[in-house]
Amino acid sequence: MIRLSRHHTERIAFSVIGLAAVATAVPIIVIVGSIFFSGAEAVSWQFLLEMPRDGMRSGGIWPAIIGTVYLVVGTGLISIPLGIASAIYLSEYATDSYWTRMIRLAIVNLAGIPSVVYGLFGLGLFVLFLDLGSSIVAACLTLSIMTIPVIISTAEEALRSVPQSFRVVSVGMGATRWQTIRRVVLPQALPGILTGVILGLNRAAGETAPILFTGAAFFLPKLPNSIFDQTMALPYHLFVISTQVPEMPITIQYGTATVLITFVLTMNILAASVRSWQRRKREW
Amino acid sequence: MSDEITFQIEQLNFYYGNTQALRDVTLTVLPREITALIGPSGCGKSTFLRCLNRMNDTITDTRISGSIVLNGQNIYAPNIDETELRRQVGLVFQRPNPFPQSIFDNVAFGPRVLGIAYGNDLQELVVQSLRAAALWDEIKEDLKQPALSLSLGQQQRLCIARVLAVTPDVILMDEPCSALDPIATNQIEELIQELKEHYTIVIVTHNMQQAARVSDKTGFFWLGELIEFDETTTIFTRPSLQQTEDYVTGRFG
Repeated sequence: MIRLSRHHTERIAFSVIGLAAVATAVPIIVIVGSIFFSGAEAVSWQFLLEMPRDGMRSGGIWPAIIGTVYLVVGTGLISIPLGIASAIYLSEYATDSYWTRMIRLAIVNLAGIPSVVYGLFGLGLFVLFLDLGSSIVAACLTLSIMTIPVIISTAEEALRSVPQSFRVVSVGMGATRWQTIRRVVLPQALPGILTGVILGLNRAAGETAPILFTGAAFFLPKLPNSIFDQTMALPYHLFVISTQVPEMPITIQYGTATVLITFVLTMNILAASVRSWQRRKREW
Repeated sequence: MSDEITFQIEQLNFYYGNTQALRDVTLTVLPREITALIGPSGCGKSTFLRCLNRMNDTITDTRISGSIVLNGQNIYAPNIDETELRRQVGLVFQRPNPFPQSIFDNVAFGPRVLGIAYGNDLQELVVQSLRAAALWDEIKEDLKQPALSLSLGQQQRLCIARVLAVTPDVILMDEPCSALDPIATNQIEELIQELKEHYTIVIVTHNMQQAARVSDKTGFFWLGELIEFDETTTIFTRPSLQQTEDYVTGRFG
């Protein structure tokens, strides 16, 4: 039997681990790279800012871009206040009781539900039962249900990581609990909360299934006028032009994918930089 | 405050769940005196200290009986605003725990939150507090520097300045020097002596010499009871109980 020296074992182990790391990075680089390579030529100001023409076979993708912005902003307006408020309640006020354990369990499980289930749930509750129709508001509500658990769990984590001693000092000087949360805990937890918010909204920006039945339009000749109108959106538009429209120029498909990926990547980079800012700022 | 009795504690009992931490503690704290509380770990002296500004209220499953009267008012009476009480009775902790902010923001925290002072008044109050905490001369060049860049001893004096900024009458100190080196400890002890001019001070300490050096009265806690309370010189020279003598001379504890 050949006995390897410890140094050889070490070298082999590191090579295997290193290869595994490279192997996971390669598909991402290849996907993003090939899309950018094939899509870059299609992207121009015209492509970004014009309405689609010829049954979407030429022209731009402006209504899909603006639709996604509407959906992200609307989802943020609903999910950020609710998510942060819930996180504050769970981290600062709730005692460990049967009910809070149930709430936590629900949040963890909500985060694991497939997105198409959210879409069908939104169709049942918002579109049909509450009679909001297939609309921006129904889509935002549906996306919010999907986003809120992400925001709650990251925000709660961020709030809990603020040292207990800060709270005790503040209360010990005569601040109320709310003043303590508002003036001590929230500012310290803010970067962590922001990271969660961005990641949550990022998911909302990229998902197709939740908006499929609740607010996304196949094609609209004009921009939506109110929150009760349907809207086009980037991920659904990409699905449509890739599978539903015959004789679709491939450059437009790649161009749309490039725009969507850029949108999502930008938000991810933003989240990453907020996180590193948080690490630098944290001194305790 | 004048000649009033500051704290009058009678028959105080305190429980964590089913465990009794304090038994029938009766004690009077006089204004502008330094009262030291000594005793072995777990004897209830810190618990007692935290009853004095109701910090124990924040712990769930605790119970209290007896009375603590501060300047004629029972602080556990239902009409008492415990936030106002905590402003009046400040607490300095064992480990220096400044916020990760500038020196100025640390001291200004209380006045800002409680709405005590703004603008120039706030500046003035911060400077006064830093002076009173004997930190001003060391940091006056740069109030914007981060509090955590100070030495531990300076951080502890900063924490004292932070408490002084909300204009308390009484300052409670829970082993304020246990994390500090002898020089920093000495500075805090000198500061405590100076603070006595304006404030009533109750200090919990593990350090016999410290109690002997700084305090006017000393109380000896043993298994949740205050078994001896007297002038500090009496406690350290001719205590009436054998247990006290054994403890202060270092024979146990």
